[in-house]
Amino acid sequence: MSLAYITPSERFKKYLPKDYVELIDFGPFGKSQEEAGPGNMGQFKELMEEHPMCSGCWMAYYIRLIFASLPCPEETVTIGTAGCGRLAISQAAVPFIYGNYGDQNAMASGLTRAFRLRFPDKTKDVITIAGDGGTMDIGFSMTMHSWIRGERFTTIMLDNEVYGNTGGQSSGMSPKGAVLKMAPMGKDFEKMPATDLAKAAGCVYIVRMSPTNIKAAAKVIRRAIFVAREVGPTFIHAYTSCNIEYSIPTEDVFADAIELGKGRFKFDEYMTDEAKIVIERVEGEEKIARKARKAAKAEAVN
Amino acid sequence: MSAMTRPVLNKKQVEMNYLLHEAPREKHFITGAQAMSEAVKRANVDMAIAYPITPQSEVMHLVGDVFAQGHIKEYYRAEEELGTMSAIAGASRAGVRLFTATSGPGLIRGLEAIASWPGHRVPAVLGILTRVINAPLSIQPDNLEMAYMLYSGAVMLHAENQQDTFDFTLAAFAIAEKVDVYIPVAVATEGFFVTHAKGYVNMMSEDLVYKEFDPVASPVPAMDNETPPARIQRDAPVQKSNFMSYLIHSVWQQEIWDSNSRAMKYIYEYLGGPIEVQNPGSDIMILASGCAAAQAREAHRYAQEEGLSVGFVKVKAIRPFPKNEIREALKSAKKVIVPEHNIVGWLCTEVKAAIPNGGIVLEGPRVFGGMTLPVELIMFEIYEALGIEHNIKL
Amino acid sequence: MSKIVEVGPAGYMPQSAPSMGVELAPEGSALLYGNTVTPEEAMRDAAIALLTRKNPTIFPGPQVLWDWKEDVAEKSAAILDLASEIPNCKIIPMPDYRPKYPKIDVKAEINPNHPNLTILDNRIEACIFVGVHCHYANLTLRMIRAGTNCYTVALCAYMGHEEAMASIRDLHASDIAKFKEIVIEERNKLGIKWETTLPPENPSLPKEDNSTLSPADYGEYRSLIMTKKGEHITDSE
Repeated sequence: MSLAYITPSERFKKYLPKDYVELIDFGPFGKSQEEAGPGNMGQFKELMEEHPMCSGCWMAYYIRLIFASLPCPEETVTIGTAGCGRLAISQAAVPFIYGNYGDQNAMASGLTRAFRLRFPDKTKDVITIAGDGGTMDIGFSMTMHSWIRGERFTTIMLDNEVYGNTGGQSSGMSPKGAVLKMAPMGKDFEKMPATDLAKAAGCVYIVRMSPTNIKAAAKVIRRAIFVAREVGPTFIHAYTSCNIEYSIPTEDVFADAIELGKGRFKFDEYMTDEAKIVIERVEGEEKIARKARKAAKAEAVN
Repeated sequence: MSAMTRPVLNKKQVEMNYLLHEAPREKHFITGAQAMSEAVKRANVDMAIAYPITPQSEVMHLVGDVFAQGHIKEYYRAEEELGTMSAIAGASRAGVRLFTATSGPGLIRGLEAIASWPGHRVPAVLGILTRVINAPLSIQPDNLEMAYMLYSGAVMLHAENQQDTFDFTLAAFAIAEKVDVYIPVAVATEGFFVTHAKGYVNMMSEDLVYKEFDPVASPVPAMDNETPPARIQRDAPVQKSNFMSYLIHSVWQQEIWDSNSRAMKYIYEYLGGPIEVQNPGSDIMILASGCAAAQAREAHRYAQEEGLSVGFVKVKAIRPFPKNEIREALKSAKKVIVPEHNIVGWLCTEVKAAIPNGGIVLEGPRVFGGMTLPVELIMFEIYEALGIEHNIKL
Repeated sequence: MSKIVEVGPAGYMPQSAPSMGVELAPEGSALLYGNTVTPEEAMRDAAIALLTRKNPTIFPGPQVLWDWKEDVAEKSAAILDLASEIPNCKIIPMPDYRPKYPKIDVKAEINPNHPNLTILDNRIEACIFVGVHCHYANLTLRMIRAGTNCYTVALCAYMGHEEAMASIRDLHASDIAKFKEIVIEERNKLGIKWETTLPPENPSLPKEDNSTLSPADYGEYRSLIMTKKGEHITDSE
């Protein structure tokens, strides 16, 4: 763990803005999920707080969840592309690379390989977080080929089924029939089968979900990162509605997410045998560590 | 052979000045493609990313062999050029030394990413082995693509022959990585005419390599979770609609072109300057870059044998463009002949703009679409310019 | 000496110093108003500026704020020693390079994407940048020269900065100590009385307490946030 780069130099700590000192003292760096995970959001300084997303944005909530779920935020780099998501992702206290249009998985391929050659004894997590347009339209070839090459990083697609940031144009992930800009007569072909494509391209852990259950969503994010470290490419296809372009009243955003979670975003988890071994091992270890901490705590109380 | 079984080489790391100017060299008879890969072999490259296109392919095949022999640490074939150039940008954030090469249509396909490298402060070296880019498709040499690179912000060197290709490529790594430069350096040379033709190249021992990449000595922090700050974007979306975000973008652009011009002192240090001049003060000056400079050099020799007042300027650095040096070299010329391997005459345009009396610069001669540049074509222009009778029939 | 790079404001979109012909100083030298001089000469001019201009401030950057390298402790100590010899000097850090959202706390920090907000709000007329990565330092220095009347000093571990009024290159802790001695000398020459005092701690604004917020705080806009009893807005555009 290299916490050095987020440790203030001793003499300067009192000259740092409060926000940074809080991040160091009460943030999730170097802490376990019980101390600073999605289960106790609100009780620690989060990596991403203020962001310019629309009121009621489900994507902003999910991005916040991603950052709270990171197994090792101090060793994580995120990569994104143009779209709403990067407005929030770039506000997190984790290095964020913002390159060109849809290039996130190609960048991540170079980055993860370069990390492995520079730091053969360290684990650095690389996560690409991009929208449906960036992942499945303009970045399609780079996304698919990173999977085909077996690049070991996690791809998260924030699917709001529309180009939200540019004003509501139809994307490959928009459902058939949706009337959107650039599909004024209604989209005339089906939503792209992203998870099937991921499977065909060799992703070893794939989940499609509407992240309405915080615990379940966090578990999936962590599984995807753990498996990517050791086995191969992992992919999360998450529904993160656009309440603006799809005119979902703010108070109905959650209900919409629940509804789609029963429909085209029905929970679907796929893992290869190798991925399963890693998940069972890591989650087993976490369970033991949790029990040990509990026991130590109980002892301390006694 | 898998990466696991590549040999571990123990090489001596040296400074670029020693490598280029002091290390003993031996003469080899090799192609331009070989010369580029031999330079990569001695540049201590961490990672190379390849995508095939004729005539560049040979370079990246050979770099692949160089990887297999253990001279570089990582190598793969990417999906296409945009993927290649994007991956270079990604890897660069991790703080490693990078190389790739491309040609013609590949360069144009990767241009979106390449044009963003300088702003992203990506100090990679890019080989450009020129080829026709316009329809109808062709694989022939033609350097029109370099015109598209002129405003990318990258440093651009143009190699005349196999020896230049070797030396420029090696020097490019040192120039790109200077803290006050830190933008990509493109080394261009003509496809086939140089890449597939053999020439004599003096090379130092392959047991010597350029010193290791230093990810700390950089004007921007590596995104490696080792270098502060933690809250960092590379690069920041500054496109909010307010004056400060316009200003940050404009000073950012200035910084890139300033970095480009700061490269000039290193071009002097490593390559002896951005231009080579023979017989300055002559009435007629032939000015050329790349492969055309080889033909111009030959025409210059003919003219000397005939006792004509003809001088020769070879332009090695296209960016930063050596305006002052060219102005000085052409100050007493009456006519300037600019032979080129493209139809638009981008070098001619640059030279015209660089000197106060641009009218003395002749448009051409130019060949393109794969045509060779016979010395007679240049001699014809010399005779015409001097008003000498001749019997050259073209 | 002709001043090529002068204290601003230079205007809307000034030419960059390198494009005005300023070159980085060679090893062993420094830059003063774009001219190559000895480090001592540059330091002396900078010291006078820091002692005579309003609200002198040191802006430490990430490379000295975070404990990532062995030389950080020594350098940060030297910077604080220097700060405590400049009368009423403030320290305002540049902890990172990301544009601040939703807005910067100008009393507590400076940001390379919009440095003028901090400079102008605090009426800073002389400042030192130290430990800022060169790319961001160049951007910041040019923006400050464009829009403010602040005298800028760049203490750089690499090759220095053309945009600064005074630029010291290849900086080590010992150079900062030397700068401090020059500040003391010049201070005595100017007859300024000062006892070595550390700058005040970071004055971060307290977090806004929304729990006490009432509709009355919104003044004439209160009707926009207050739904009427029983009203339920379902329309959206």
